[in-house]
Amino acid sequence: MSKAQTTVIQTEIPISLIAQAQKLVDAGWFRDIDDLFSDALRRFLESHREDLLEEFIRQDVEWGLAGDD
Amino acid sequence: MTIKTVLSVVCDAGPIIHLDELGCLFLLNDFDQVLIASQVWQEVTHHRPGALRNSDLSFQRVNVNICSIPTFQSVVSSLSLDIGEQAALTLMQGYPDAIFLTDDAAARLAAVTLGYRVHGTIGILLRAIRREQKTKYDVIAILRNLAHQSTLHIRPQLIQEIIERLEKEQ
Repeated sequence: MSKAQTTVIQTEIPISLIAQAQKLVDAGWFRDIDDLFSDALRRFLESHREDLLEEFIRQDVEWGLAGDD
Repeated sequence: MTIKTVLSVVCDAGPIIHLDELGCLFLLNDFDQVLIASQVWQEVTHHRPGALRNSDLSFQRVNVNICSIPTFQSVVSSLSLDIGEQAALTLMQGYPDAIFLTDDAAARLAAVTLGYRVHGTIGILLRAIRREQKTKYDVIAILRNLAHQSTLHIRPQLIQEIIERLEKEQ
């Protein structure tokens, strides 16, 4: 299997968060911190699809304006 | 003034934080019971220390042991839900007729999968018009300031669509 193309990004992350992430890497759950971040981002994107976010907001609008409770 | 509903809500941290940022946490007083799992309570206290100190609010803090049933665990694990979200959904098991309030898409997806009714901050804000807690002009003003006044992330064009719809409403 060919390796996916990658890029390098620079971002600010709370120290406590990176400490927790590093703990998982140190315990052997992830190969390295890059692997962990890719996995975390992939999972986030899977459950935060744009169409889903939009659908949820639209459901809220309908309930808010026209619900009966 | 409208009569309080007999409906209960179970809250995730997001709507409490976002409604408090918008000065609208009192809108939840319209519900018969506002139930908050201890884990969520701690999360809110950590991110928004003053939110739950308001004495006008009658929220109930509930100690919750997170459900270990395999189907439940499978759903919450596959969506990588945090401890607070897992606790809130566990609490829902005791109040299946309640509405689960969350602004997190993954938590909302999990709740729908588990068969619960779910809404979020936007729903509560718009419901406030119907329940005569706010005028539509109040809510339009809140929506216009949403991006600056809260940490709730919604696509600006979608907010604009909601505002335009409200402006057309009688």
